[in-house]
Amino acid sequence: MGFFSGLAAEKYDRQYSDKKLLQRIWDYFKNQTRRLTIIVIAIIVIAIIDAFTPVIVARGLDQITQESISTQFIITLSGIILLVGILGWFANLLRRRFSARTIAILIQQLSTDAFQASVRQDLSFHDSFESGKIVSRITSDTREFGQLISLSTDVIMQFIASIILAVVLLQTEWRLAIAIFLLIPIFFFLVMRYRHIARKITREGMRAMANVNSTIKETVSGIAIAKNFRQEYAIYDEFAEANETSFDVNIKRGFILSVVFPVLRTIGGIATALMVYFGALTVLEGFVSAGAWYLFLSTLDRFLFPVMSISSFWTNVQTGLSAAERIFALIDADRSVKQIGSIRPQHLDGRIEMINVNFSYMPEESVLSNFSLHIEPGETLALVGHTGAGKTSIGRLIARFYEFQDGQVLIDGTDIREFDLVALRRQMGIVSQVPFLFSGTVLDNIQYGCPVCNQDEILRIGGKIGDGEWIETLPNGLDTEVGERGSQLSMGQRQLVALMRVLIQKPSIFILDEATASIDPFTEKQIQTALDLILSETTSILIAHRLSTVRSSDRILVMRHGEIIEEGDHRTLLAQGKHYAELYNTYFRHQSLEYIEEAKKFAKRAPVDSILSN
Amino acid sequence: MTAVTAESVSEFSFEAKYKTNRKTPILWILSHAIHQWPWILMALIGATSNAALASVVPIYIGRAFNQILEPAPSLSLIGTYALIIGVSQIIRGLLQFARNFGFEIIAQNIERFVRQELYVSLLGKSMTFHNLQSVGDLMARATNDVREVNYMFSPGFNLVIGSLNFLFIPLIVGPSYHPALIATPLAFIILYILALWHYLKILNPITGDVRQTFGNLNSRLAEAIDGVEVVKGTAQEDGEIDRFYDNAVDYRDASIRQGDVESRFLPMLLLGITMAFGLAHALFLMQQGQLTIGDVIAYFGTLSLLGFPTHISLFAYSQISLGFAGSKRILELLNTENKLDQNISGNTQTIEGDIQFKHVHFGYSDSDPILKDINFTIKPGQTVAIVGQTGSGKTSLVKLINRTFDVNQGEVLIDGVNVRDWYLESLRNQISIIEQDIFLFSRSIAENIAFGKQDATREEIIKAAKEAQAHDFIMSFEEGYDTIIGERGTTLSGGQRQRLALARAFLTSPKILILDDSTSAIDSETEDRIQQAIFRAAEGRTTLIITHRLSQIRWANLIIVMRQGEIAAIGTHEELMKKSKSYQRIFSE
Repeated sequence: MGFFSGLAAEKYDRQYSDKKLLQRIWDYFKNQTRRLTIIVIAIIVIAIIDAFTPVIVARGLDQITQESISTQFIITLSGIILLVGILGWFANLLRRRFSARTIAILIQQLSTDAFQASVRQDLSFHDSFESGKIVSRITSDTREFGQLISLSTDVIMQFIASIILAVVLLQTEWRLAIAIFLLIPIFFFLVMRYRHIARKITREGMRAMANVNSTIKETVSGIAIAKNFRQEYAIYDEFAEANETSFDVNIKRGFILSVVFPVLRTIGGIATALMVYFGALTVLEGFVSAGAWYLFLSTLDRFLFPVMSISSFWTNVQTGLSAAERIFALIDADRSVKQIGSIRPQHLDGRIEMINVNFSYMPEESVLSNFSLHIEPGETLALVGHTGAGKTSIGRLIARFYEFQDGQVLIDGTDIREFDLVALRRQMGIVSQVPFLFSGTVLDNIQYGCPVCNQDEILRIGGKIGDGEWIETLPNGLDTEVGERGSQLSMGQRQLVALMRVLIQKPSIFILDEATASIDPFTEKQIQTALDLILSETTSILIAHRLSTVRSSDRILVMRHGEIIEEGDHRTLLAQGKHYAELYNTYFRHQSLEYIEEAKKFAKRAPVDSILSN
Repeated sequence: MTAVTAESVSEFSFEAKYKTNRKTPILWILSHAIHQWPWILMALIGATSNAALASVVPIYIGRAFNQILEPAPSLSLIGTYALIIGVSQIIRGLLQFARNFGFEIIAQNIERFVRQELYVSLLGKSMTFHNLQSVGDLMARATNDVREVNYMFSPGFNLVIGSLNFLFIPLIVGPSYHPALIATPLAFIILYILALWHYLKILNPITGDVRQTFGNLNSRLAEAIDGVEVVKGTAQEDGEIDRFYDNAVDYRDASIRQGDVESRFLPMLLLGITMAFGLAHALFLMQQGQLTIGDVIAYFGTLSLLGFPTHISLFAYSQISLGFAGSKRILELLNTENKLDQNISGNTQTIEGDIQFKHVHFGYSDSDPILKDINFTIKPGQTVAIVGQTGSGKTSLVKLINRTFDVNQGEVLIDGVNVRDWYLESLRNQISIIEQDIFLFSRSIAENIAFGKQDATREEIIKAAKEAQAHDFIMSFEEGYDTIIGERGTTLSGGQRQRLALARAFLTSPKILILDDSTSAIDSETEDRIQQAIFRAAEGRTTLIITHRLSQIRWANLIIVMRQGEIAAIGTHEELMKKSKSYQRIFSE
């Protein structure tokens, strides 16, 4: 489960010194000093009220026991209790109201900063770190830190109240006071032991729960199969076993959790009993008044139960602070792509030059070394090669998603580092292997890169692709909801949307990492049309996986181990019978019409013996 | 169909421990809870006596106080009081434990049985149901919602019932000193209930807002980070940051509104006022000589017991309302109807493989037809390729054949017999469907292959794997056929999964094979293998292939081209090359 996984350290995590960390945290509170002051005052008022209410009652009792009771006294004493009650409630109102505000504002600022930092981070960063974990830092960690604030106010309040009471008790009767204080370490020890056991059993419970969850997930997904094969009983048994195990573990956990409060309560009860007897003894000996005795009796609980929250407080502080540390690490993570200029091109011809470029993802593994490439404006270049040949890296460097270590990349003769990145990328159309769509309509997604492009234009361009049939087959046309990450559309439709995005953006440079997913032949034809429309107007770099794409390029670069080993058009390269011919036989042959005709041989019955002798 | 109970028509039924009442969430929860009566009894006894014994402390402190103010106080009597307090609190500890653990046992038992009930019901649901319901949603209900029902009992009911008892203690103890002392606690209870009701009425919509705004924030955030390449590629960083900021501000404002309402929690104020009035009242009675000082102390101490329900109520009530919301969602799922029945007395012949569609219409709802007037005939042994865009109805069409779905209109005939007149088990045993997403269980490869024929020998499994061209890659794993799928990075490619599914089919040797073949082969060699396996599988049985592969389309006996739920073209390759323009286009270079 994602419960503990979110806490795992990442490479960009760093250790802040306590001073630095507090400084960073303080920066977020700086503009909230007025609220913080109110909270602090409210906390102190509540603590004083909490501590003094029993004292007032005890002093009142002493008055009653010493003289006859007057109406004025009754009104004064109850009046004080009433006032204290109202004041306490009001102070609590202020504390909660302003804590809620402070925390909400803090979370909003912190998470916005964290999001901004991660969106501006290089793609290399996002490729190396799981998106789920980044998201969890932005939402869960900020909330966790916020919780620390509200918890702190609670604990500090109880702590102050306990200290005040301790002083009052010591002044009243030091022997009885010390007897009470001696109970605290016993309580503390018990609570710590208990927390240790509870944590262990809770973890076990969570593991059992995760097990049930994954069993359910697997069997629910497998219901279709189970039904086809009539194997419902088999998967039911599997579920039942996980369910029973979870029950057993949770009963154990329930036992542990059920035991703690009764035990503490019992100890508190015995302590009260002892205090009744020995307190009475001290009263009879004349050490304290009857009122003081009452004070000791009524404050016992107030001492013992804060021990529970204070003993867990330190752990909470640690988790809260490490949450803060994780957020700051995300905000402060270094970027590797650095620009030195801010040229904002209005138009690019699309001449791309790579001169003696060295590039590696990790220092010891060179991907491109001393790599040079020249692409003419308007040219369509196809890159082919096995996985790891460096095709994708070329696209990434030109899109400036990654930083190269050495050499030069020039666009229209200007160093790529001289451009303003946002402006440069506006001149580029980039389509990745798995097209990503945001939830919203098809129209929203097409307009994503160009919010000002209007619907008529989109319909006009869309109509050029297969007579607009693809729009007709969408249930609500351009207003069709695509679902989360585009899940409501087929892979082919998602690719068409991604290509449409580029078509209306009208970039000068087009970078395509072609999808390998299988698409029905009719949609595939339409994708080809869309592609042709883009290729005719841009300088294009295609990381090709389809035979038809390779064929439609002006020039094919055959790559191996980060080097260009062959160059030319499809026919020439195939005729050479070298690496390209090998690649063709490995990846493209089955896409050709010749192969389709040849497939007939499989249709003829192969003798079973020959298969079994394999 | 005559009215029959849900169990008898479902595709899978299982003898449950007890039947539940599924009319309303409350009745349903009660029908589960009633079976826990021994534990409920224990928990209730624990809850009531715990509260009663809690009142022993202030009462005897009061007596001890009276005693000490006597002219000649008896220390031994005070000692007896102390002993009573001590012993009562030890017993109280035991009873409190009985209450806590009792509710815990009830909660865990109910969680277990509810989950079991839900699961059995899911297994019994038709495929129509499973196709409409997302796995994520089912998961949420089977895990989170079931958990919420658990929490509703412990800590939910545990704390509510436990603390409600404390509410009544002052009502009983007060009058025992003086009848008039019932006034203050009674007033408190009435006002407390009103204040709480008012509070929850205001708070509920706001917590809904908080959840909603956070949901918006989180889902857009997750998308933006997942799609960061698009965000950067289209230079939309600033747009996303603005959007995030807006969402974060909405969430912030909702949280602040929630904090404001929570800070004005009136029962806390009521408690303070009650304490003051109670004290004044008792002191006045004492002034008139109707109470002793010990009584005043005992009464005041008893009033402070009201603090427990006041503090705990918020948390406990919201837990209960979450539990009800959860049980409502679970119940919805349980009560979703089953459409298919097994038809036990139906046809059980061996299938020849003749398939006929006559004016077939199908859709999940009438307003949104998926298939419209489908007509065709397939002869035994033919291989049929079904082609078309996603959403054109290909998958629904083949799923009508084994009654995964039932037609809305028209007939599907197998060997001239309407599929509804076949015994479902016999029909499905002879028809094998290999889905697009091939699901494998995290068990050994051998077990996965033998899923449809559990008694298959190792030799049979290997033979099937060889026929499906899967043997070689299986042997490339260290553990061979005993490799557990999904363990230690054993992930299989689409092509490999497909061949395992084909091996399953070779083992069960169905009369009709339906193959949703939409995976793509990266390289030509894998492609060769898949082609071989599929052509081999098609031999000697009627085979329907939903395919994107031109080679399979090219060599099928019959090609059905689907478009928006209708047959756009049907015929052999040669016929279609002549009559369909779009068909020609896909075979041109």
